[in-house]
Amino acid sequence: MSQFENDTIDIRSIPRYEEIELNKPHRNYWKIILINLLIFLLLLALALTAVCLLVPEVKAYLTTIIIGHLTLAALLFLLFKASFKKRGYALRTHDIVYKSGIIAQSTTIIPLNRIQHIELNEGVFSRIYKLGALQIFTAGGQTGHLHITGIPIEDAKNIKELLLRKLDLTADKTEVN
Amino acid sequence: MDYDFSKPHRQSAHGIIIMTASTLIKITRALIFPIVIAFVKFKTVSVLYFLLAILVIVLVSLLFAYLWYLKFTFFLNKEKQEFVIHKGIINKDQVTIQLDKIQQVNINQSILQKIIGVYGLKIDTAGAHGEEVSIKAIDEASAYNLKAHLLNRATSASPVEEETKQIQPETLPFLKISALTLFKVGLTSNYGQSLTLLAAFFYFVFHNLREFMNIYEVDKGRVESALTGLTTFFSVSVLIIIFLVALLVINLVRTFVKYFELEISKHQHSLLISSGLFAKKNTLVSPDKVQITAYSQNYFQKKMNMFNVRLKQAKNGHAKNGKELHGSTLEVPGCNVTERDELIKMILGKIPASAKLFIPNWRFLNLPIFFNLVLPIAIFLIIGFNVPQIKPFLPLASVYFLIGVLMIYISYKRHRINVNEEFIIKKSGIWDISHEIITPNKIQAITTFQYPWHKSVDVGHLCLHTAAGQIRFKYGNYTEIKNLVNYWLYQIESGDQDWM
Repeated sequence: MSQFENDTIDIRSIPRYEEIELNKPHRNYWKIILINLLIFLLLLALALTAVCLLVPEVKAYLTTIIIGHLTLAALLFLLFKASFKKRGYALRTHDIVYKSGIIAQSTTIIPLNRIQHIELNEGVFSRIYKLGALQIFTAGGQTGHLHITGIPIEDAKNIKELLLRKLDLTADKTEVN
Repeated sequence: MDYDFSKPHRQSAHGIIIMTASTLIKITRALIFPIVIAFVKFKTVSVLYFLLAILVIVLVSLLFAYLWYLKFTFFLNKEKQEFVIHKGIINKDQVTIQLDKIQQVNINQSILQKIIGVYGLKIDTAGAHGEEVSIKAIDEASAYNLKAHLLNRATSASPVEEETKQIQPETLPFLKISALTLFKVGLTSNYGQSLTLLAAFFYFVFHNLREFMNIYEVDKGRVESALTGLTTFFSVSVLIIIFLVALLVINLVRTFVKYFELEISKHQHSLLISSGLFAKKNTLVSPDKVQITAYSQNYFQKKMNMFNVRLKQAKNGHAKNGKELHGSTLEVPGCNVTERDELIKMILGKIPASAKLFIPNWRFLNLPIFFNLVLPIAIFLIIGFNVPQIKPFLPLASVYFLIGVLMIYISYKRHRINVNEEFIIKKSGIWDISHEIITPNKIQAITTFQYPWHKSVDVGHLCLHTAAGQIRFKYGNYTEIKNLVNYWLYQIESGDQDWM
């Protein structure tokens, strides 16, 4: 225990992950979320109309269905807005930090020397707004991986390049060993 | 015998028999009930055709096995440090394994392999491919030599050491589990697995019995009345006792089959674990590939001074594949304190010294009590007051509540982490109390999270992702957790210690 206490003095001088400035996802990413949400709601509305037309008994509940659909839309809008506001990422010299969560705020940190591989995804709408998503995988399985969305594509590419260079460096080192 | 694996090698020719047999076993297992039914139902003429069909199947699998034998070659590329396998009858596959990606090499012997006198060799790898390679027939000397080549790439450059190893391959095992210990282990642990096995067995029997009855158009009513007669004959308590005895017997048999003559010995840089009653299983593990070292003990085992030690290795495959593949966990049951400590010392280099203790907040109790006790009991009471048949059982709710509270309280009392400079030890459990030990360099990623309503009381959660699973610490002091995370990040990032 005494040895650990010794180190607590050191701990103060260690960089603190909870105090770093996080990059918010790009403003335009909110538009993409909205577009996706609208498409989903539209498809749902279409499916519901189809059901109403085909099954006459359902027609009696038309108002309930419409109200339900609208509440769902409002709820999803609020949830996505909340989650969008709370997201943030940061790249440090030795690790990458991602914060997210609608109710609970969770922060995941991956040390760069533990990254297994990186993926850069661009969706159809993302391409219009010049945004991209980065996926960072570790050996920690499904739960230990990051999916950072709404990064300006240039930044995303730069981050990817940087991380890949780091990866190569660590790989070289292990080969020498 | 030459042990130069740099040239393409074939397997032992006995492999043809093994391969044929394994194909046949697979076919039989899939078709066992149709075959039995066919035998009973068909007339004598068709039985002849049927036997002919079996003969054809045997010949075809023999032919395939022969072709497979011809096409299956393996060699070791020393320059590139790769193990290369060529295989495939119609398609040509080339599997290349980098030696440093190899997790463990298993040498097994099934009953058939034992009769013929060959061994099977299986290579577990970690990393991007997650492919598993097995060589089905190889003679003993080659098997152990190949294994040594595959695992000790550092020493393979010096052939002198190889020679000495050749002469004296038998190192004294430092850990041996006796039959008496195994008996105790069988009585006290792994009930859950045996229970599922028993359930699966009953399901299998009943499922097939029903099919069987459908075919013979057995009068269902008669069977059911016979069954109900049986149940009244044996009262419920007798049935429960029979069930428990069956469970214990299965548990004992399973333990003996799996861990008979369990021995652990030290080989250069790795541990050799061998066990098994019918099929001897040899596993060579290098300590730095072990991700989580865990030991557990329940009340009975504590009285008998026994521990179950588990060495968890990285999960095969990759997160990219989207599916969680099974992690390979090696279990050493029935160690006493000194044996456990010896094993831990082998894996971790030393026994974890005393460490700073972190305990969860009492809010740990809230959610489990609500979801496991309050909510179900409320539902039960609501139903109970409305359905008269259930009413007499209402007092059971209080028993459930008391047991539940006790269990949740115990789990809260056991939920601890200990941290010092080199180790993180997570303690948990209600009945089986387990200790999981990792070194910070095994951490792949760290997640911390907090509910907004816990902000004012400074309570939060921690999850350490390792390649062999997660280690969670819930409802801790969030400031302390953040300090720990910063400290671990500093340890991981400042050192260049690899995780395997």
